[in-house]
Parts: sequence; structure tokens; C-alpha cells
Amino acid sequence: MSAEPAFKPRLAAIPDPGEPKIVAEGINKTFINRENGEEVVAIENLDLTIRDQEFVAIIGPSGCGKSTFLYMLAGFEDISAGTLSMDGHPVTGPGPDRGIVFQEFILFPWRTVLRNITLGLEMQKVPRAEAEAAARKWIGLTGLTGFEDAYPATLSGGMKQRVAIARALAYNPEVVLLDEPFGALDVQTKFYMIRDLQTLWQEAHKTIVMVTHSVSEAVIMADRVVVFSARPARIIYDERIDIARPRDALDPKVIDRQREVTEVLSAEVDKQMRREAGRNPLGN
Amino acid sequence: MTDIQIERADGRASALAAGSARRLLAGIRFVAPVFGMLLVWELVVRAGLVDGRVLPPPSLIAARGFEMVFDTEHAVLLQHIGHSLYRAVAAFAIAVVVALPLGFWLGLNRTAYNWISPILSVLLPLPAVAWTPIFLVTLGHGDATIISVCFLGAVFPVLYSTIQGVRAIPPHTIWVVRSMGAPRHAIFTKVLVPASLPTVMTGFKLGLAHSWRTLVAAEMLAALSYGLGYMIFAARQYMDTQTMFVGIVLLAMLGFIFEHFLFGTVERATIRRWYAHHRKGG
Repeated sequence: MSAEPAFKPRLAAIPDPGEPKIVAEGINKTFINRENGEEVVAIENLDLTIRDQEFVAIIGPSGCGKSTFLYMLAGFEDISAGTLSMDGHPVTGPGPDRGIVFQEFILFPWRTVLRNITLGLEMQKVPRAEAEAAARKWIGLTGLTGFEDAYPATLSGGMKQRVAIARALAYNPEVVLLDEPFGALDVQTKFYMIRDLQTLWQEAHKTIVMVTHSVSEAVIMADRVVVFSARPARIIYDERIDIARPRDALDPKVIDRQREVTEVLSAEVDKQMRREAGRNPLGN
Repeated sequence: MTDIQIERADGRASALAAGSARRLLAGIRFVAPVFGMLLVWELVVRAGLVDGRVLPPPSLIAARGFEMVFDTEHAVLLQHIGHSLYRAVAAFAIAVVVALPLGFWLGLNRTAYNWISPILSVLLPLPAVAWTPIFLVTLGHGDATIISVCFLGAVFPVLYSTIQGVRAIPPHTIWVVRSMGAPRHAIFTKVLVPASLPTVMTGFKLGLAHSWRTLVAAEMLAALSYGLGYMIFAARQYMDTQTMFVGIVLLAMLGFIFEHFLFGTVERATIRRWYAHHRKGG
């Protein structure tokens, strides 16, 4: 289970933000509700710049459109209006420059752990030996050593998610998109995963965008926390978390930032609840 | 519980031994009731409780079967079996060739699915044998009619299962490989095919079973000379119940072999290896 890297940077400073990597300008997303045919505005006039090798956590009330935004970055969701670009080129579809990790792991049960992780490299026609060497590096860093030949069905949830993370990193995308990566794990497993993987994110040298429900996850893991409003999504909070790593959930600075983000978020959730109650004839 | 304890205590070698012992025991548990039934059957007929001309005892059925293999000019029983197997397997093979690509297409193309699926749900429950007279008037007696009817019996289960197998693949699974820059053919061979395999295999099993069931009736109606269905039906003219039962027993045995040995082997090599370890995970 231990993901001991070769060296463990103590109190590593937060890297200075690099060049703009992902630029979203005036993003709008509307879709038609299938039940009543009404037009729903999911995202309205959203601007967000994510810099190279920045770890950004996006948090917001459920159904606020944060996952939709992540799927836009991945190239799977169309944009109704606005521009979304990466390295100055518009995002038009999925590509191997962006890796994605889903809440529900999405492993390939017919492949062993090693073969799951080499798949991306196989797709890029990397020779087998080279692909395996690359996979083994990430197997070591994610704490999967000894499980190379196991089938996913034999693994616990936490181990499955380690495989999914290693798989997304192994083919060396520039951007890693995490869609509620710890949402399906129990509290205990989640705690260890967040702690064990702290150094992994630093050593990966990737731009990381994580969507999450959990304020503590966001504050412990990310360089920057962005809070989306309830639908239609706008940015209502955007702050850097200048706390040295590794971060401890009990560090007063971490707790302070968690409180700050929680206040913004709960005010938004309250607003959303009141609005829904007003619309719902049963809720007073 | 006990097998797990044994495995832990004695290590891998004895775990394997325990595994084969368990399989042997399972085999005995399966065979014993069948033998019991045959024994009761034999005794009931011998005791005169049932008319032996209507229900011949197993010993005479077996004797008749051997006689039809060894004491006839061209081992007539083997001819019947050969013709039946050829028809059922040919019909099944054509059904797979037609239904597999069609199933993938319908599973992936929403518009096509919306148009075709109502038609399929009407045709699926229709017994294929009902088509026999139609084929008889167009194709006449013989293999063409029998294989066509069996094809109709086999094609719908294979098609339906393939569609379900493909549609059940979560979209995120395809997103993951598309994010890797996978070309279309790789998405198909590396993801769609293995992901739908468990359901497709079920379709194959059902398809061959349906082909086999349909065969008997189709042979009774449309065969000219050979086939187990023909053999059973022809034997009625001589009140030859022993031959009829030879046919019935063989139909059951061959059907069983298809189900457990043919597909069982493929399943052990694939699906069971991938999915059979759920208990170990924490």
C-alpha cells in the first residue's frame, strides 16, 4: 500500500504559476431538458485561465455544471458559446494530451493492472518493453507494486482508483482531468489516498484540473481553488492556496482555508435550496 | 469456508488438489441424481408398472443405440447425428455471421436502434418453427429449409444479446480510450469487443440452444432421409419407441455438451478469469 517515492520533498513551496495552459473565455452551455422541453442554462459567461503545471480544484453545489466544464476540457462536451483553448489551440475533441480519471474508476476488467496502465501507450504504438517500463514507474509511484498481474476485479476501490490514476499518467498527457476521483471511496481509503498521492501530483509535473464535492480534498490537494455558483455556473471564488506541501488536514492554515471555502460554498448551496424550495410546490 | 481454510494452511499445491477434489465431488453430485433417475426408470418398467412398449427401459434404449451404430451398414445412427449437427451448427454459424455485425451496428447507432428494436421485439418471441411451411413451399424439403428455420431460431437471441452487450458499455469506458487517442478500430477491438463479450457469449449459448431445439421440429417436418428429428418421427410408423428414445436421449446429451463443454471452455478462458475474484477485494 505504501507509495514511498525515492525522495520525499519536505515542505516544498508551491510553484509559481506558469504560462496560461487552458483558457476559457465567455463559455456558455445550454441544453434542452428532455422532460419538459425547457432550455436550461448550465454555464453562463464563464472565464477561467489555468496555468501550466497548476493544480486547480473546482468545487460547487451538485448539478452546477462543474463536471460539464471538465468534460468540455476533455473534448467530450460541446460548447454552446465562447472559446476554450489549450496552448492557444481551440479544444475540438478528445486527445492524448489530456488524460481523464473518473469517479467510477472505469478499468478494463479483461486486462491486468499492468495491461490497463500500458493501454494508452499501446494506442500510441509505443513498443511493449518501453510501455511496460513506463507503466512500472507509475505503478511504483501510485503504490501498486506487487499487483501488476492482478485483474481489476480482485482489487479494492482504492486500489482500482490508483490504477486509473496510473493509467491516465502513463501515456504522459500534459493535462490530467480528475472527475470526483475519490467520490466512490470510503472516508478511510480517501484519507490515505489523498495523503499517499500528494507527492505524486508534484512529481508528475502536469496541469491538473480536479472537480470535487469535498472542500478538504480541494484545499489539501490543489494550488488553487475555484468555486462555481449554482446553475448557471459562474465563478464566485478563486484563490491560490499558498500552503507548503505536504499538507496536513489538521494544520491550522489548512483548516482556515477550508472554513473560508466552506462559507462561500454553503452560502451558495443555501441560495440554491431556497430557490428550489420556491419552485417546488411541496417545499415551503 | 473449509476450502478457504485448507488453501491458506497448505499453500498452493494442496489448494490445486483441493480444487480438483471439489470438481470431482461436483461431478458426482451432478451425475448421481441422473443415474438414480435411470435406475428408477429401469425398475419401474421391469416391474411392469409401465408398459415397456410405450416407455422402454434405459438398458434397451442403450442396446438399441449400440445396435444402430455397430450392426447397421453405414452406422445409421452416426449419419443421423452428423446430419443434425451439421444443420444446427451451420444455422448457428450463419446466425452469428449475420447477427454479430448487425448487433454491433444497432448497439452503437441510436437512430438505427430506435427504428429496428420495435421490429425485433415483435419477431423475438415468435417460434421459428412457425416459418417452416413458408420455407417448405419456397425451398422444398431438405437442408435449405431446415437450416433456414434453425437460422431464424438462432439469429434473434444472438442479435438481441449483442445489442444489449454493446449498449450496456458505459460511455465513460469509451471516453477513457478516446482520451488515449485511440483510433476507431482500436476502440472496437480493444474495448467494445471484450466489454460486450460476457453478454455476447450468453447470446451464443442461447442461439445454439434455440437452433438445436428448432432443428428437431424442422427435421420432423422437412427432412427427407436423415437427422435425429427425422429418425424420431420416422420411427413412429413402426411403433419403434426404442429408436425414438435413442433420439431423445441423444438430443439431450448433445445439447448438454454444447452448453457445458463448448461454451464452458471459452468462458473459463475469458469471462471467469476476469470477473470471478470479487470476494477477494476489500
